[in-house]
Amino acid sequence: MERRAPLRSSAEPTKITIMQGQARASGDTSLEYTTILGSCVATCLFDPVAKVGGMNHFLLAEPPSNRDPEHFDEHYGLFLMELLVNETLALGAKKSRLKARLYGGANIRDGLAPIGSANAAFARSFLLRESIELTQEDLEGRHARRVHFLPSRGLVRCRTLNDEPLPMQQPLRRPKSAGGDVELF
Amino acid sequence: MHKATRILTVDDSPSMRALLMQALTAHGFDVEQAEDGVEALEWLATNEVDLVITDINMPRMDGFGLIENLRGSARHTDRPILVLTTESSDEKKKRARDAGATGWIVKPFDAEKLATAVRRVTH
Repeated sequence: MERRAPLRSSAEPTKITIMQGQARASGDTSLEYTTILGSCVATCLFDPVAKVGGMNHFLLAEPPSNRDPEHFDEHYGLFLMELLVNETLALGAKKSRLKARLYGGANIRDGLAPIGSANAAFARSFLLRESIELTQEDLEGRHARRVHFLPSRGLVRCRTLNDEPLPMQQPLRRPKSAGGDVELF
Repeated sequence: MHKATRILTVDDSPSMRALLMQALTAHGFDVEQAEDGVEALEWLATNEVDLVITDINMPRMDGFGLIENLRGSARHTDRPILVLTTESSDEKKKRARDAGATGWIVKPFDAEKLATAVRRVTH
């Protein structure tokens, strides 16, 4: 489904903004997920059989090339990816049927560590390792993007925001609630 | 020197398996890995471990099924089983506890906290 289908159906969809650190999935035909990306990356997953889709939005701190790999919180990125996959599975999707699209990962300017590219690379390598097919990507470059995704149909519209400054997005730190707490029964 | 604690991790995600392998071997544990509950049971039929760490959402047999199966076998009645999951609902946690899990750890895991928990339940 490479065509850019109009996102309009009989009724205007209910728009839900996916914020950084979130992962949501739905099969509701009246919903549209939307987000604005600078260096952040959004993953859209879709199962064409279950007609269920989901989106996440993240920016992991510091690229691994930046000497200190500890600052690149791969654990947290993996968690947000797994959360997204699990959200779709809970609605009847099968991992083997999932198709992925990736957006965002823009790099702000020369001289800074290319954090957008590092996040894009993380997302690509995650999909590769998990054998989830990447059907489309619009990643890196220098411009912000606005993404619209219809989760029940798997349709994406990604618009490059040429005239707007890249939103300054702070890398994601894990919330305190995501501290890997252990509870022994 | 005593023998290293042997752990079986069960998770369908290759990325998560790689992270667990790295974190646990760095703490000196001996790590074996299975991709889901079915593979874990097959491996455990002929191998011994000190501890099982399992995910919940997996194809073929999920973490609940694995725990129930292990607790149904005399060999594994007292085997420590830690659940490591993205799930955070009290209902799922209660289900794991009722099935016989030893503990519950939410992802993203912290390598130090995980290692401490492993030592506590296997000492």
